[in-house]
Amino acid sequence: QVSAALKEGHVSPRELCRRCLALIKSTRFLNAYITVAEETALRQAEESEERYKRGQPLGVLDGIPVAVKDNFNTAGIETTCASNMLKGYISPYNATVVQKLLDQGAVLLGKTNLDEFAMGSGSTDGVFGPVRNPWSYSRQYKEKSVPKSHSEDKESNWVITGGSSGGSAAAVSSFTCFAALGSDTGGSTRNPAAHCGVVGLKPTYGLISRHGLIPLVNSMDVPGILTRCVDDAAVVLGSLAGHDPKDSTTVQDNFKPFELPDLPDVSKLCIGIPKEYQAPGLSSEILALWSKAADLFKNAGAKVTEVSLPHTRYSIVCYHVLCTAEVASNMARFDGLEYGHRSEMNRSTESMYAATRREGFNDVVRGRILAGNYFLLKQNYENYFIKAQKVRRLIASDFVKVFGSGVDVLLTPTTLSHAVPYLEFIKEDNRTRSAQDDILTQAANMAGLPAINVPTALSERGLPIGLQFIGRSFQEKQLLTVAKWFEKQVKFPMIQLEEVKRHNHDVFQHQKSASFS
Amino acid sequence: VLNRRCVEAAVMTGLALNCSINKKSLFDRKHYFYADLPAGYQITQQRVPIAVNGSLSYSLCKDNKMSQMVTKTVRIKQIQLEQDSGKSLHDDTRNQTLVDLNRAGVGLMEVVMEPDMCCGEEAAAAVRELQLILQTLGSSQAVMAEGQLRVDANVSVHHPGEPYGVRTEVKNINSIRFLAKAVDYEIQRQIEELENGGTILNETRAFDSKLGCTVPMRDKEGKQDYRFMPEPNLPPLILYDAKSLPANMNHQQVVNIDWINERLPDLPSVKRAKLVERYGILPEHSFALLNEDGLTEFFENVVKQTRMKPKKVIGWILNVLLSYLKQHSLTVKESPVSSVLMADLLNLLEKKEISSTAAKQVLAELWKGEGKTPLEIVKEKKLELIQDQEELEQICQAVIDGQENE
Repeated sequence: QVSAALKEGHVSPRELCRRCLALIKSTRFLNAYITVAEETALRQAEESEERYKRGQPLGVLDGIPVAVKDNFNTAGIETTCASNMLKGYISPYNATVVQKLLDQGAVLLGKTNLDEFAMGSGSTDGVFGPVRNPWSYSRQYKEKSVPKSHSEDKESNWVITGGSSGGSAAAVSSFTCFAALGSDTGGSTRNPAAHCGVVGLKPTYGLISRHGLIPLVNSMDVPGILTRCVDDAAVVLGSLAGHDPKDSTTVQDNFKPFELPDLPDVSKLCIGIPKEYQAPGLSSEILALWSKAADLFKNAGAKVTEVSLPHTRYSIVCYHVLCTAEVASNMARFDGLEYGHRSEMNRSTESMYAATRREGFNDVVRGRILAGNYFLLKQNYENYFIKAQKVRRLIASDFVKVFGSGVDVLLTPTTLSHAVPYLEFIKEDNRTRSAQDDILTQAANMAGLPAINVPTALSERGLPIGLQFIGRSFQEKQLLTVAKWFEKQVKFPMIQLEEVKRHNHDVFQHQKSASFS
Repeated sequence: VLNRRCVEAAVMTGLALNCSINKKSLFDRKHYFYADLPAGYQITQQRVPIAVNGSLSYSLCKDNKMSQMVTKTVRIKQIQLEQDSGKSLHDDTRNQTLVDLNRAGVGLMEVVMEPDMCCGEEAAAAVRELQLILQTLGSSQAVMAEGQLRVDANVSVHHPGEPYGVRTEVKNINSIRFLAKAVDYEIQRQIEELENGGTILNETRAFDSKLGCTVPMRDKEGKQDYRFMPEPNLPPLILYDAKSLPANMNHQQVVNIDWINERLPDLPSVKRAKLVERYGILPEHSFALLNEDGLTEFFENVVKQTRMKPKKVIGWILNVLLSYLKQHSLTVKESPVSSVLMADLLNLLEKKEISSTAAKQVLAELWKGEGKTPLEIVKEKKLELIQDQEELEQICQAVIDGQENE
């Protein structure tokens, strides 16, 4: 809708950009952005405006403000991965996905906050501080929350965004941009999407280029898309997907961008409900919602069946071995010599390396590097790494079997519960939290399958709950069609944030689903 | 992203060395920290390299006589593709190390030979032949001094009948000549060490060309665990041949082994055989021709333009021209005497217009590169052979008379 508005001149790209920038400023307490690229954004908006004036917009995304997670390289704009190691690092090139967005005329507002090097499930462990979930400040949440004591500052009761793409999710959720890029390795796009009430899409591995995405786990990472509605996700996907010669892990097949049907029909589909996803710790609210969702499909004529993915319970452990091993490898390049932080220590090269890496990385990163190196030692390789690879294959086969038996899409919860307050979240360490929170999202990364979080309803405390759909490899169209149908059914409410109302915009008002397409 | 040219070069080299080309090969990361390794790991092919089990034939002169050439073979264990690291330049005076990263990441082809050679001479001959092959294929210009071909020698000694001894690795060898020296020195050193009751350490040593010996290298690591891991960003490398190539595959996207095989140029051994057959020269002549860049072309050009038999031409090329070039440290390309001039000269000789002594004089003049033709020089210096019988008699008589007068 915004795009149409831009086309028809109801609003100008510059105006749009300015409003978003202003909103970013007034929602600074969310800490969603690490870097705001005000000047370049305004310039891009101006250029976009020129194009619209000439009647030659580059496409649907022309003039649309977007944000990008700070682990994507952006030329000329600082890229930090929320780490001391890369503070002040200005990349000389754009990640392929960033370049594609810019080529479409999108306006890059800034880089969003994350857990350091994308390791975490809360967006709480970056050097720039934690990201606050916009819903913490929503009317819906405030109405439902009961202060424990009258002196308790509502400030301290804010809830986390989930992670690790929390900044991007918060940015989209608080209307400061229309779409954002995240990354998804174990659920890092879908998890915060669920907690922040936005759509989070994890595409099939190999569909979108990883070139320029600072790698966490090369064999599982994918760029993630966060938007306010499923149609928007489809549009962004259309502009990003496709083979990249600079990324040998992207598939060669031609990708055809698609549009979703206005009235999706799910009656001919088979929805699978994997029983293992009724994980311990799953809140009763979410369980109930899940069940209601299944009923929705049944009533629409779809076939809904229970299925089994027996190796699900091994996925977290398997993930830990493979993830830490790749992390150890990928982090080896941060030695302070070529770029990034360099320690003052210069007694010897080795001591400089050690000091640099100790200073540059936080505990979480260092912990994973050490674990990963342990698993890669010659004496351990067979028992850990190779075994984990085999288990991974089993997990992937589970899905192949299920999809092969006639199931089109799987329906599962995305998270175990709604967003928890920050103070509670930090009571457990990063590793424990990740192990708990990744459990529902992680397997899709193992198997490389596409998955999407669709905001479903608000919890009793007024916080978003989302449900997840997992689709067949490269069947994003079918996946998104189902997701769109579901979205239309549940009519998830719009966040009621004061700040957004203040920067009220015709366009924002018109939208029930706040989309831009 | 994998460099296609590197893959093709590796396949070509593998085929030239009689290797089996692995239709599927894999890439791995080898991790260690060093200033010249910016990623903290090197991409290599540890599990399944691109080519295995080949052989390289080379020739040696028995007892230093060119006329008795012996053919030897060394087995090729494997050829693998890997990344180069940067270059470290140690500045000991300022106690610092400078790192040049320009070549980091560039593709390398590592050819691993089995320990089938027994002395410096054999090692040198084998590497020389490899060098020629690489140059012929175009895989590499293989100039050692430029670092285009780097050789590390692994040397061990053992008593006949006993298993191979502990080996040392010798690095920093910058020419074929030094290779022979380094190997021979190391063999000697190890023998002496063992005969004195010592042991050989499995270490890395550097060849010091000035002193002609090997010294232990600065300790890079203790026992290193490289923590090998499959390279996640490079899918397995699949090569095809005519049989396995899918019908609708884009030719640009794949590397076809048979296609490459059909286009392999003549290898040095083949070239030599052809030269011997076509021109009737001796095998050792063919070696000498191929050993000098451009000499074969020169020779063939001269042969084309003269009626002198190749068997005679070869003498002039190898003994006279080549020694001139060597004396003045010139390459064939830099020769002031072109093949045309050479041919002219040899024609005069063939037609018996000058003697061979005279021809050598003319050549000395030609060497100055003043642009005169052989004919001009002959006329200038009055070097023509006198054919007239009478004239000759007169000269002889004059000489005899002259003698009598003394």
